[in-house]
Amino acid sequence: MSVYTLVVTTPPHQNNTATVIEFAESILTAGHQINGIFFYQDGVLNASTLTSIPNDEFQAPAAFVKLHNDHQVALHLCITAGEKRGLTDQDGVININPAFTVSGLGEMVELTSTADKVIQL
Amino acid sequence: MSSTSLAVINTKAPFATSHGKDALDLALIFGSYEQQISLFFIGDGVFQLLQRCDGITLNVKDFTKTFAALSFYDIENVYVSQESLTKRSLNKSSLIDGVEVLSDDVIQQYLSQHTAALTF
Repeated sequence: MSVYTLVVTTPPHQNNTATVIEFAESILTAGHQINGIFFYQDGVLNASTLTSIPNDEFQAPAAFVKLHNDHQVALHLCITAGEKRGLTDQDGVININPAFTVSGLGEMVELTSTADKVIQL
Repeated sequence: MSSTSLAVINTKAPFATSHGKDALDLALIFGSYEQQISLFFIGDGVFQLLQRCDGITLNVKDFTKTFAALSFYDIENVYVSQESLTKRSLNKSSLIDGVEVLSDDVIQQYLSQHTAALTF
């Protein structure tokens, strides 16, 4: 059994992001653990509640939320990267999906230092 | 907290995208948490290390000046690909101080000694 940290740097409409979901499900099915998924660069856009993806395309944000709900996988968002891209949790305007935890790069240090493997997709 | 040795691989020119700055921000945080970290510059990433980099002329914040502060964060391992420099008609004298030029074979060997790698 290995502990994985996943690092997502691609936005919801890119196929790499769909690969993250498939990869995450596969490693959980194989009996490994994910100590958290860290979203950085354009990856933070997966946390936006404002994104609307056409019905016949892969729903990456919903898939991350399902992964979180089904397997309690922590979804950490780099808020500095998020704010640059219009994400906010300030009063009145909240467009970050509540399944995501607002974090910073310090959390990434914590995750990677307690993981056996760090995978960036 | 056990220790990770992280390789940050820089592959993009400095100012057209934010990859270089994002990689440096990440490296500095890892450095400030006293994690082992090495920076690798390959491909167009080598342009980030030019002495005369100046983002201001492009209205971009010049993050490359912060490379001078790497030693304050105990980040001593900064490696550059000789082959990538040669292909771009550059040599070590064009680069900032404190970087080590290595062949791609040696870079590959060094990379394999890290427990994790992130590419920007």
